[in-house]
Amino acid sequence: MKNRSAKKTALCAVILALALFLTACGGQETPAPPEEAAGFKPRLDTQTDCSLTVAGHYNNFEALEAEFNRFAAYYPHVKMNYTFLDNYNGIIVTALESAEAPDIFFTYPWMSYREGYASIYGGLAENLADPALGIDLSCIRESLLYKTAEGSVPTVPVYTTTYGMLVNEEIFEKEKIAIPTTYAELISACEALQKAGYASPILAYNRGNFMLFPLYYPYFCAQLQSNPTAIQALNDMGEGSAEYMRGALELAADFMGRGFIDLERCNAMENDYNAVILRFFEGDVPMMFATGNTVSGTEKRESQSEAFAAHPFRYSFHPVPSTEKGGYFINTISMGFAVNKNSKNLDMANEFMRFLVSTEELNRMAQAKRMVTPCVDMSLDGVYAAFGQVDAGHIINFSELGLADTPDSQVRRAGWQVCNGMLTVDEAVAAFGSLE
Amino acid sequence: MKKSLMILGNLFIILAIMAFVLLYVGSEQQRMIASQTEAFENMTVAMESVTTNYLVGEQQVCGSWAHYINANDMTAGEAITFLRDAVGVQYVMAHILFIEDQSLNGLSTVAQTGAGDHYEVSYANINIFSDGFEEFLRPDSRVNVTRAYTNPINAIQSIAFCAPITLRAEEGGQPREAVVLRVVPVSILEQKWVFPTEQYSNAEISLIDAAGNYIIKGYAFKNSNLYDFYQSYNSPSAADLKSIKASVSGAPGSMEINNSTGERCLIAHTRVNSTDDWIIVTMIPMESISKTVMNWTLVGAVTAGLLLLLIFNLINMAGLNRQLKTAAAAADSANRAKTDFLSTMSHDIRTPMNAIIGLTAIAGKNVEDTATVRESLHKINLASSHLLTLINDILDISKVESGKLNLSPVTFSIVECAENLVNISQPMVREKNIDFNFRINHFEHEYLYADQLRINQIYINLLSNAIKYTEPGGKVCVDMRQEPGETEKTARLIYVVADTGIGMTPEFMTRMYKPFSRQTDSRVNSIQGTGLGLAITKQMIDLMHGTIDCQSEEGKGTTFTVTLEIPLADRLVDDMVLPPIRVLLADDDPVLLETARDTLRSIGAEADTVGSGAEAVRMVSGKADYRVVILDWKMPDMDGIEAARRIRQKVGGDVSILLISAYDWSDLEEAARQAGVNGFISKPLFRSTLYDKLSEMLGSESRHGDQENEDADLAGMRILVAEDNEINWEIVSMLLQMQGIETERAENGQLAVERIASAKPGTFNLVFMDIQMPVMNGIEATKAIRKLPDPQAAGIPIIAMTADAFSENVTECLAAGMNGHIAKPIDMKLVMKEIRRIKEEREK
Repeated sequence: MKNRSAKKTALCAVILALALFLTACGGQETPAPPEEAAGFKPRLDTQTDCSLTVAGHYNNFEALEAEFNRFAAYYPHVKMNYTFLDNYNGIIVTALESAEAPDIFFTYPWMSYREGYASIYGGLAENLADPALGIDLSCIRESLLYKTAEGSVPTVPVYTTTYGMLVNEEIFEKEKIAIPTTYAELISACEALQKAGYASPILAYNRGNFMLFPLYYPYFCAQLQSNPTAIQALNDMGEGSAEYMRGALELAADFMGRGFIDLERCNAMENDYNAVILRFFEGDVPMMFATGNTVSGTEKRESQSEAFAAHPFRYSFHPVPSTEKGGYFINTISMGFAVNKNSKNLDMANEFMRFLVSTEELNRMAQAKRMVTPCVDMSLDGVYAAFGQVDAGHIINFSELGLADTPDSQVRRAGWQVCNGMLTVDEAVAAFGSLE
Repeated sequence: MKKSLMILGNLFIILAIMAFVLLYVGSEQQRMIASQTEAFENMTVAMESVTTNYLVGEQQVCGSWAHYINANDMTAGEAITFLRDAVGVQYVMAHILFIEDQSLNGLSTVAQTGAGDHYEVSYANINIFSDGFEEFLRPDSRVNVTRAYTNPINAIQSIAFCAPITLRAEEGGQPREAVVLRVVPVSILEQKWVFPTEQYSNAEISLIDAAGNYIIKGYAFKNSNLYDFYQSYNSPSAADLKSIKASVSGAPGSMEINNSTGERCLIAHTRVNSTDDWIIVTMIPMESISKTVMNWTLVGAVTAGLLLLLIFNLINMAGLNRQLKTAAAAADSANRAKTDFLSTMSHDIRTPMNAIIGLTAIAGKNVEDTATVRESLHKINLASSHLLTLINDILDISKVESGKLNLSPVTFSIVECAENLVNISQPMVREKNIDFNFRINHFEHEYLYADQLRINQIYINLLSNAIKYTEPGGKVCVDMRQEPGETEKTARLIYVVADTGIGMTPEFMTRMYKPFSRQTDSRVNSIQGTGLGLAITKQMIDLMHGTIDCQSEEGKGTTFTVTLEIPLADRLVDDMVLPPIRVLLADDDPVLLETARDTLRSIGAEADTVGSGAEAVRMVSGKADYRVVILDWKMPDMDGIEAARRIRQKVGGDVSILLISAYDWSDLEEAARQAGVNGFISKPLFRSTLYDKLSEMLGSESRHGDQENEDADLAGMRILVAEDNEINWEIVSMLLQMQGIETERAENGQLAVERIASAKPGTFNLVFMDIQMPVMNGIEATKAIRKLPDPQAAGIPIIAMTADAFSENVTECLAAGMNGHIAKPIDMKLVMKEIRRIKEEREK
């Protein structure tokens, strides 16, 4: 009986397998249904046929294009396209008034106060806080949301960034050196690495005022974080306010003076993105100062780098330890989205923003581009793991700091010139406000 | 073949068919895809022609502007004014960029959007001319065009055609080298790219430079570079990427990639001839060029059909298997039955055969001992009878089971049937000393139309069983009566046989109608029987649409009730009428008295009935003048013999006295004769019985006397016996000779015909015709005789004498013209009866 039963079972299984095989053969692949967890419920006719353009200054934006595909699962007939605009900062205002105006466009924090951009937040951008739109802004950290005097929210942050150093973990393991978490450890590590033959344990892009920026700038901001008087003084560019940057400049000067950085090698890197990443992937750089924006390009370039493809290694992004208590995690908006109020498909543009502004989608975008999410729930990419361990007291939200654009740029220029030996700390402090 | 193997075989065939279909369709799909791919590549090449024509045309316009400006030695202002007029269409604009200062600033024919009369334009922040203008001013190039860029005047994605111009200085300075740009929105070029058929409605087109950067980017193309796009969604190795780049930059061709949604797409590429390094790249989902090839509905339908066929076959096969199992079981059962049958037959045939052979041997050894020979012959006769019964039963059950048992209805007398029944049962009853009571009631219709032989068989079977299984001293009662039928033309014949025999167990009663079923009982084992009687009886009753009911209790007896609905015959009651006489009938059975009185009245006698012997004596002593007194032998107060003696004492010999007995009266004959009894009459008192006996008493000649003692008048008859078998001929001739009847033999039918034809009239009184004979059989011979020209010869009585004993054989014989039928082995009583019947008919 058992044998007979087993035969029947086997035959049934064969028939079932046959049916499944044939079903599988005949099956047409259908787009994966949207995940219920997203909780997004379309509010417009899902058969709406229109096109939306997102304009920005990224050459590539695969992370956004992935969101287009996810949105298409709800609105299959909405064609979404990302367009790179040449001279984005200079043309965006014109573009918003042109015949081919984008429906959604990139925004930056400085658009709120720089001359020439007043029209954007003054009327060209949709108020995304309008309850009628149904966009849930609560998923975004409150401090990152820009609100106009009238209380409207013309833009939502999509990416935030930070500053730190890319670390070749395998070099440290090979040399049996711990990844530094304090300034002293950083010095020791550099010395050890130099002894091990790494003439320049650290490299940094040396244009655009960037040299050692991840070291001294978070330190500088940290000094101001609980000092509104200093902020006010700097914003006013008042006499003596330059002294608030002295500590940061001295830190930069101190570090530069130790000879851990070969400026010539730094100068060889032509840009702070592709060139920096590919240089790091050469595999002989223990530490590379970089921004979160730079880190966002690493994953994609792993395959573009012949050196890395030949000898891949583990790497991670760490805060630069500028104090004996560790480094700082300075979090600043990298880029945001705004909706063109004059969009021909304004409802659908708002619907896309309603879809995008959620913890799940924004975190997904941040993960895809290796950027830092603006969401309350910060799900950091693995490469950012070290930033997740920074003490709460060492996390600086730049938007909350309230430092104006002019003193900010003056500090950057001062730091760069000090790092490059063009000015002493005293000279830089003295020239504060007039640094070119 | 095992069921599982067969199913697996079917599945394998289905899989093989599906594999073939899939392979074939797959092959066709590949062929179609190759064809469609080639068509798509050709379409891409056609797009290149469209593009080249457009680009060349635009370049020529731009060149003509430059030529005009140069020819007319214009200043920048004059040139821009000229260009503003020359542009013509609204969507196109012209820019002039000065080369010598590297500022990438210049003039525009259109003012910047939102900037009033601001006609200056700057390309400083647009990464096109940052490396100079040389790339765009190559004299040997037919087209000098930029990539798609954001027009700094209106922010619209545009391309610009370039041509060098030399501008005259405004106030006598050095001429200024500049470039005139014909700026055209990308959408204009895109409008030129109209794919020719609906099949390519999902196709997208892009224009890339040698590095893969999009000059014009179609919607489905992602990233800013084709190779980045490929890399983002296809994860190629460095070598693959290099190979792809080489392929795209080379000759026209195509390749498959995944798009941003993971969909498989075909990309076709071809270089734009009018440019140095531009490449047109088209992309279409593979589904769009292969969807018309693979008919999955058809494949699915075939699959479903095959599976349904398989399931249908499995179900059908299961049904057939069940039927086969049933048939096999039936065959097994039949085989077992056959084996059992043969075994039983072997036993049952050997038993009487053993007796016959053994007793024959005994008789042979004791020829001189007459008593032993007589005893042996008697026993041989009994064994032979049993053997004959057995053979008849076997033949009957064989016909029943083969469904060949047919009814041959004839008109017959139910009274004669009952008489026959009594006559047949009498010897057995006498032998076992059983109290036998046969009662018939209300036979309103004597003549019925049915198969008399089969009805007799039914009744005899049940009655003989009752007698057989009733111990000596027991009682067997037969109650036979007629009731009105369902219609006026039928009568319901009810036949009840009750005995006080051994009875049956409930278990046996469930299978008693099955062939060869005999109760397992030590008492039964000593009784001869085939176990076929009840089976045959039941089958025949069913065949006649009758019913049989059985009530039995082990040790107490059995009662069978047979009910048959039988059509009435058209024949009227025979003219059996006596002269007017008075008859006194005495019996303690009131029912018998009632029925007998009716019967007597029907034959013309005036009947009085009394319930005891004493009453009979008293009645006879009275005034009534009874011609005949019929007394039952067994009456409670005074038996028949005593009553007869007293009647004789009173009335002397003026009255005839008949004694009624259900049994053989030989034991009491002497006492009865001494008491004055004139004759005996058996129960039941049939009409014919009473008529014959009363006629005899009255001195009339009875037609139905005891044949055996009265065959002397048949001596001297001549009979032609047509018989091919020597022994049979010898037996019949010897038996007939013993009766004084002369015989002559014809060895076959042909000789019989010839002998009859050649015989003088009166030579033969009768012909006994065997049926199965060589040369000519009995049926044909009879037909031939009936066709003889001599009427006397043709009319000679012919009686079939054959072993073909079935009713249909009888019917066939009669249909052929015969006058009667005698079955072999022959019963001399029947033979003599038939001869007498023929003789009497001839005499009439």
